[in-house]
Amino acid sequence: MAFAIWAVLSVLGVAAVVGIQILPIVASREAVVVDRALVALTVVSVPVLVFVVVGMLYSAIRFRAGDDDAEGPPIHGHRRLEAGWVIGTFVMVIGLAAYGTIGLLEIRGEQLADLEVRADAKQWAWEFDYPGLGIASEELVLPVGQRIRITVISEDVVHSFSVPAFGVKQDAVPGRETQLYVTPTLTGKYGIQCAELCGLGHTRMVASVTVMEPAEFDAWVALQPPQTGD
Amino acid sequence: MTESGTRMARLRRPSLARGILGGLAGLVIGALPLIVAAQLGTEIKPGGFLALGYIGLLLGWLAGLGTFGPWAAWALGRPVNTEDQAAAHGRGGDWTRYFRFTTDHKVIGIQYLLAFLALFLIAGVLAMVVRLELAQPGQIFATDTYNTIMSTHGTLMIFVALNTIVGGLGNYFVPLMIGARDMAFPRLNALSFWLVPPALLLILLNPLFGGFDTGWTAYPPLSRQAELGEQAFLLTFITIGISSIVSAVNFLVTVARMRTTGMSMMRLPIFVWSLLVTTAIVLVATSVVASALTMSLFDRLIGTDFFRPAAGGDPILYQHLFWFYSHPAVYVMAVPAFGAVLEVVPVFARKPLFAYRLAVLSFVAIGVLSFMVWAHHMFVSGMAEFFHIPIMISTELISVPTGIVFFSALGTIWLGRLRFATPMLWVFGFIWCFLIGGITGVYLADVPTDLVLTDTYFVVAHFHYTIVGGMIFGMFAGLTYWFPKFTGRLMSERLGKIHFWWFTLAFNASFMPMFWLGIQGMRRRIADYPAELGELNLWASVAAWMIGLSMLVFVYNFIRSWARGPLAGANPWRARTLEWQVTSPPPVENFEHLPVVSSGPYEYGALAAGPAIQPTAFSGPDGRPR
Repeated sequence: MAFAIWAVLSVLGVAAVVGIQILPIVASREAVVVDRALVALTVVSVPVLVFVVVGMLYSAIRFRAGDDDAEGPPIHGHRRLEAGWVIGTFVMVIGLAAYGTIGLLEIRGEQLADLEVRADAKQWAWEFDYPGLGIASEELVLPVGQRIRITVISEDVVHSFSVPAFGVKQDAVPGRETQLYVTPTLTGKYGIQCAELCGLGHTRMVASVTVMEPAEFDAWVALQPPQTGD
Repeated sequence: MTESGTRMARLRRPSLARGILGGLAGLVIGALPLIVAAQLGTEIKPGGFLALGYIGLLLGWLAGLGTFGPWAAWALGRPVNTEDQAAAHGRGGDWTRYFRFTTDHKVIGIQYLLAFLALFLIAGVLAMVVRLELAQPGQIFATDTYNTIMSTHGTLMIFVALNTIVGGLGNYFVPLMIGARDMAFPRLNALSFWLVPPALLLILLNPLFGGFDTGWTAYPPLSRQAELGEQAFLLTFITIGISSIVSAVNFLVTVARMRTTGMSMMRLPIFVWSLLVTTAIVLVATSVVASALTMSLFDRLIGTDFFRPAAGGDPILYQHLFWFYSHPAVYVMAVPAFGAVLEVVPVFARKPLFAYRLAVLSFVAIGVLSFMVWAHHMFVSGMAEFFHIPIMISTELISVPTGIVFFSALGTIWLGRLRFATPMLWVFGFIWCFLIGGITGVYLADVPTDLVLTDTYFVVAHFHYTIVGGMIFGMFAGLTYWFPKFTGRLMSERLGKIHFWWFTLAFNASFMPMFWLGIQGMRRRIADYPAELGELNLWASVAAWMIGLSMLVFVYNFIRSWARGPLAGANPWRARTLEWQVTSPPPVENFEHLPVVSSGPYEYGALAAGPAIQPTAFSGPDGRPR
């Protein structure tokens, strides 16, 4: 009985989850991987969640004691059930970890990039340099469909370069350079935010990223004054 | 003797008043060298006065309380003052023993419990203030004020989660449950508690020192540029760490050496096992964080550059050291709650704990694995690239032993005869909330999903589901279960159930939407957010205030039942573990004659005709029952 309830609810739950999009905006190839992983984890979670909840509620109703002093049967364990549970959950998490590794390699495995950008974080603003193009900007502008390497640096404390629409973030650590790869797939304007508490102006440390067609991007580059100094 | 004469005589004896005087004297003596140096023209940072003054205060306070008296007497070859010794054993009977340096583990347990429950309420009020700021877009408080409130809330709650079950329920019940008269080192036990009040006082006073805005994680370099309040945080955390280490040694030795006849390791109540694993984690991990914090303190105070990149230091080193403690610390909070929950389940299911050995093994596995998962807090930190994969695997692996807790709890209630007294309700609440916390934890262990979810409200929701849903629910299960034992009186079941449902519904209403907020990209630790997230934040805030209000029911029930509840008798729940076989509250020496244990702790059911301990256990030396 309890098993049947679990099976039915699990199937219904999984059916409801498969194919949905969880992230509000999926604007990069990396975000596609992330969203797919979110759905996959949810699909695996549903039967687990339903198993425990049904087990708990079914027992609460079915095994509630009357007001007598009855005691349950003296069962101390069940060897095969215990082994099955351990092996089952072990296989499940190894599967999840393998799937996660594949996703991670998809997002970060490829070290090539079409365009280099440096995101320079300081309390409490962002600045973006395009070393190959010799320009700098307060707002990030990217061409759609190109793989971009964003080298994140910080001048003072730890910040984090986060673009929810791209599904990725990377800390900016003073004293070292960290890398982030992103391939925008949708043109539009998205938010950039600092995701690591960095002091008084943390809340307001936001900027925007505009993704445009390559031709538009070239036109935008041409309009920027050449970068002076370093 | 004149009245002032008796007062002087009283001050010569260890007491709270003498502790306070000693603390003040220590404060002055500690800061004195720097005051002199400043007078001579040396430039002294304010942090120097705070650090040395605080250390002086701590030592003076402990000396005034009488911590060092017997040790000093022993070292100097003098006789120990027997009157002070007797007072320290808590034989003074009346309530004043709770305000003295007392070595009785039951008194220390109550001291811990009440101190950290009070702290829980204070930190809860701060949470309500945080939710006040976040109720609507726009800001009510200045950002630095908000950051200080948020950071203080987080830090205090960490202390609550670390100490309430271990220090409170653990101290009180572990010796009783293993059939011992006290902890192995009663004086160290008292020391570990009395280190706590000055530390808590210091962090509560941090707004006087300009507050601190780094959150409880206190990442450098931000922590280096923060106000003096940051240093209050560092000193407090280090002190609490020392207290935890001292207490951990005590628990480990107690369980290893003080078990009564027949109390084999495989007959230990599961709660004792949980504390054994927990304190082993504390012992190994705490010195690491204490080192990291001390290095941070030195960076601020004396210009070392451990974490300053400009001078060759490395901020990521701090993160590794910090999380090497602070992730195992999550299990220091959760495992005692697992223990409390699995302790309660068999009693109210009237059935032996299912898969006891596997549950014990799972605790040990959690203890070992907890040291191999710390870097999942750092997937976006810029640490070595290859390191993501092994940490992802180990982090997801820890859900296997954690899952066994659910397996064991469900296996116990299956076919049981369930009685839904308040403690059992908290167990069911725990299973639901910790399940949500555990499942969402996988989303943060998986690197691809962590990249988008980390540092958002998804994390806030996740860890509140694990720490509140795990530790706090487990604490309430244990607290309502053992309340009759440590007070001798029953709690009101009606009020207990009202509190449970109110707290649980409000908690879920408040934190469930935060998963969604996090997926929308709402960051952690911000004072303001985009306007379109306003409605859901208002909902979360109202629900959070309801959590706070529900605590009034608990406090009322707790105080009223302790004062005037119906007498509980020795064993109101008909449990089989040793602590229930003595009077409520237990006598000072716990057991007149140490019991002899002849079976496991959860022998419920058809075959369990005899008691868990041999009949001789409570008989006098002449064989007659007393």
